Amino acid sequence: MKVLVGVKRVVDPNVKVRVKADGSGVETANIKMAINPFCEIAVEQAVRMKEAGIVTEILVVTVGLPQCQETLRTAMAMGADRGILVETDVDVQPLAVAKVMKAIIAKENPQLVIMGKQAVDNDCNQTGQMVAALMGWPQATHISKVEPAGDHAEVTREVDGGLETLTIKLPAVVTADLRLNEPRYVTLPNIMKAKKKPLEVIKPDALGVDVTPRLTTLKVVEPAKRGSGVKLADVAELVNKLKNEAKVI
Amino acid sequence: MAILVIAEHDNKQLKTGTTNTIAAAAKLGADISVLVAGHQCAEAAAAAGKVPGVTKVLVADAAHYVVPLAENMAALVVSIADKFTHILAPATGFGKNFMPRVAALLDVAQISDISGIESADTFVRPIYAGNVLATVQSKDKIKVITVRITAFDPSTAAAGTAGSENVAVVADSGLTQFKGHELTKSARPELSAARVIVSGGRGMGSGENFKILEALADKLGAAVGASRAAVDSGFVTNDYQVGQTGKIVAPELYIAVGISGAIQHLAGMKDSKVIVAINKDAEAPIFSVANYWLVEDLFKAVPELTAAL
Amino acid sequence: MSTYAAPLKDMQFVIEELVGLADITAMPVCSEVTADLVEAVLGEAGKFAAEVLDPLNRIGDRQGAQLANGKVTPPAGFAAAYKQFTEAGWNSLSGPTDFGGQGLPHIVAMAVQEMWNSANMAFCLCPMLTSGVIEALKLRGSPEQKKLFMGKLVTGEWSGTMNLTEPQAGSDLSAVRTQARPEGDHFRIKGTKIFITWGEHDMSQNIVHLVLARTPDAPEGVKGISLFIVPKFALNADGSPGGRNDVKCVSIEHKMGIHASPTCVMAYGEGEGAIGYMIGAENRGLETMFIMMNHARLGVGLEGVALAERAYQHALDYARTRVQGRAIGQKSGDRVTIINHPDVRRMLLTMKSQVEAMRALAYTASAALDKAHHHPDEAERKRNQAYVDLLIPIVKGWCTEQSIDVASTGMQIHGGMGFIEETGAAQYLRDARITAIYEGTTGIQAADLVGRKIGYEKGATAAVVIAQMRATAKALAGHAHADIAAQHAAFVRAVDALAAATQWVVDTFPKDPNAVAAVSVPYLKLWGIVAGGWLMARAAGIASVKLAAGGDPEFCKTKIATARFYIEHILPQAPALAEEVTGGAASVLAMSDAQF
Repeated sequence: MKVLVGVKRVVDPNVKVRVKADGSGVETANIKMAINPFCEIAVEQAVRMKEAGIVTEILVVTVGLPQCQETLRTAMAMGADRGILVETDVDVQPLAVAKVMKAIIAKENPQLVIMGKQAVDNDCNQTGQMVAALMGWPQATHISKVEPAGDHAEVTREVDGGLETLTIKLPAVVTADLRLNEPRYVTLPNIMKAKKKPLEVIKPDALGVDVTPRLTTLKVVEPAKRGSGVKLADVAELVNKLKNEAKVI
Repeated sequence: MAILVIAEHDNKQLKTGTTNTIAAAAKLGADISVLVAGHQCAEAAAAAGKVPGVTKVLVADAAHYVVPLAENMAALVVSIADKFTHILAPATGFGKNFMPRVAALLDVAQISDISGIESADTFVRPIYAGNVLATVQSKDKIKVITVRITAFDPSTAAAGTAGSENVAVVADSGLTQFKGHELTKSARPELSAARVIVSGGRGMGSGENFKILEALADKLGAAVGASRAAVDSGFVTNDYQVGQTGKIVAPELYIAVGISGAIQHLAGMKDSKVIVAINKDAEAPIFSVANYWLVEDLFKAVPELTAAL
Repeated sequence: MSTYAAPLKDMQFVIEELVGLADITAMPVCSEVTADLVEAVLGEAGKFAAEVLDPLNRIGDRQGAQLANGKVTPPAGFAAAYKQFTEAGWNSLSGPTDFGGQGLPHIVAMAVQEMWNSANMAFCLCPMLTSGVIEALKLRGSPEQKKLFMGKLVTGEWSGTMNLTEPQAGSDLSAVRTQARPEGDHFRIKGTKIFITWGEHDMSQNIVHLVLARTPDAPEGVKGISLFIVPKFALNADGSPGGRNDVKCVSIEHKMGIHASPTCVMAYGEGEGAIGYMIGAENRGLETMFIMMNHARLGVGLEGVALAERAYQHALDYARTRVQGRAIGQKSGDRVTIINHPDVRRMLLTMKSQVEAMRALAYTASAALDKAHHHPDEAERKRNQAYVDLLIPIVKGWCTEQSIDVASTGMQIHGGMGFIEETGAAQYLRDARITAIYEGTTGIQAADLVGRKIGYEKGATAAVVIAQMRATAKALAGHAHADIAAQHAAFVRAVDALAAATQWVVDTFPKDPNAVAAVSVPYLKLWGIVAGGWLMARAAGIASVKLAAGGDPEFCKTKIATARFYIEHILPQAPALAEEVTGGAASVLAMSDAQF
């Protein structure tokens, strides 16, 4: 079975992001970047399935700047076989990525698409579902388990309050949640090998996909800082504040 | 302006997120339809009609809607979408699952997890795990939106009396088969993953006394933590320790009980969203990082708090 | 508690811009190494160091290695981390490609090892010793010995140790007494070795001890010492580990630092003698050791850089968090984090600027080592070997001594909290202390510098380096960037001081070597400070060019500001040290023993 994994290059989740002085976005120049953690889990899943003999080839795809090749190399160092970068300097939004993926799926015919459930930069949680919709395929988001069997797969999803199990027909799109697996550390020999694996760079135009953003970001700001605390009179007041002001219970 | 809200429900009752989402819809306009897709869901549909602000309830009742599978939900919503300018669902596991599918089928962007509404086409949404707020504008013909439910309070206005009508059911996609649900066991969560943490310090006096924290934690679905002083005093084991040398945590709510707030402890929990401190020493440094604090005897305050929740 | 983050930007800047990765990758043997690859390797190594090794550092310090019934147990988590480390292939980074190694250049290994050391120096000592044994095999091993041992050492399935010191033979190895008696195709080794780092443990399947010993008819002194391979488990005919060899750990030391690393007393031949195989020619063992020592000393100098970096990160984290006092001149209002206090800032900059200078110097030596080994042109190889030979005692002596100072300043920033083990600042100071002692104390390094590296060659290589410093000085004068131009005068004074002191050493060494020895350590320190200043000045120049070309503004501006601090606060020590060197010998020698 051939698997396609979509990955995204994001600001390293350990980096505290800063809003640009003009409020037009978040400072990403010269910031440490990394593969989106959920995408890393998606790659890991594909590699494990290959190691288990279920998967024969892993194709990893990303959309974005030339530097996204690094992300593909990381995925290939983890065990993906080849990569495709759809190169653009446009701020690609989930719908555009989904259309790119659709075009690549049409050429590559994977049986399974694995993606991260969301990217930790824009927190959209959309792309996997959109790919499934555009392909007319079933989907399983937030999965913690996937077991392909013939023309279908058994999946376990993390839903509010517990787990849900589904049988989905293949081909399908699944999106990885945290508990699906724990990604491996990339090994040094595999970093070296990844350099030699095929990496194709194509433009969205070549796929006939329009990646123009649909949403315009008008401004970004940092949320208001925590004010200094208040001393409360009694437990009743505390409960009231937690419920109605802080809204945490 | 015509707004469609997709109700999250269990065929009997609405899930709380639905009323918050309707409250968000009310900020956009007055023509609010609510879609209740389910199986034998008349009770839920009736409940939707009573939510303040709702003008019409659309009911799609069929066996294959007994659980909201994304493929079926999306097809159903898309079948009625052209009558609306805005389609909203709560940004819960429910809404997140099928709404992007709706958006893609309509060839529009989705605006995820909005926490504010500036105008009919402009919304505020948190990005970077809530460290940044973005204001975004959509020019698409239909706005497909998921709503951060904690950001919108349900209306407290008088109950509505919206009528309901059936909508045509879309055939089961057959792509996905529901097998079952498994509910989470009630064991307390891991410290580092907990949404709420109740922590005790030397002020607890003994390991035995941690039981009152456990009772509070169980009420809140919280994990139990401790300061180094409490660990050193042998009240609890090492894996409870929050602080520089223990676990670093940042839950939504951190309740520090009988903890003075040594710098090593503060370093492990100061990024928590809301910090509550309960300590009888009015000078305890923990108060400097707390959002709310009570100068009280913890053996009185904690059981009181547990009882009040 | 701070968490380690590899200083990837500075490492890459030093490798790519300051020492010039392009020169290294241009060499045919490194043709597969590209900047992208280096970045990927450093990125993944940084992740492993931060996520796997760093969290074990404190546990290792607290638990220490434990000895019971001849078995040494490393602290909790170390064996699993070692397994992960070797399985991820990190042990094979610079190993020879014919034996499964990745053959990456020394400069890449340098940066990666800095990360391991920053995260967990006690752990890192184990693979570091293994690479020493690999080096010895590479230099002097027979094809058969390479076949038996190399592959397993490269993967790290087997680890290695160095057995030099004996109770009566410390810095003076001519006093080694361990005996090697020939028996068929092997030798039987008997004797006691002390200070054997990772001499016994169960993280690897076998331990390959390199042992200095004397054959029965060996001449006295340094010319009668041979080198032997003694495996912990004797090898079966097929090369697999068999029965236990006659070598065991009889005790482990209670040390000031690096608690997780067992420092063993090893008893060889309590029974019939441990089976050993001679490596290299008879009586030439020390020679081999000295070639290896170049690598080892550079490695220990790097430990200094690494610990200083880690201590800096730790202190910075504390200074950003600790709230104490109000800003100077403010009587009311909010209390501030201590990073707002000018003296704390000065301390942080003292740490930061020296760490960067030390890194620049250590990596420069490493790049020269690569060129000395692999450059296609023989003249270039020779030139670089001379450069490396000069730099190694400076890197070892200066970076380790400074690491103690830097870690101590880190503790100072913590105030009373730093003296308490809880905050973790003390561990870096305790761990750093050994680096100025082992692999040759600072005094030994200084003796090497003034003798073999300056005195015997009449300062020829030193003169070349000083001329390069003067060229840099020229570029500073009238530099377009005001912050850089302002550094010119102080830098010229420092170079003049080094030149004058070097002239004095060259002149005095033939007629009064005692006088030179008496001030050799301040002379070494002078070299370190000025060479560090030279590289910081060059770094500032490069940063200004990059800045103008649209490079990372935050990094470039910070580099220029850090260089300026170094030149204004650290470099002024140079003229004072030169004065000590040229005028201070007599008072050292004038005292009689009784007067002490």
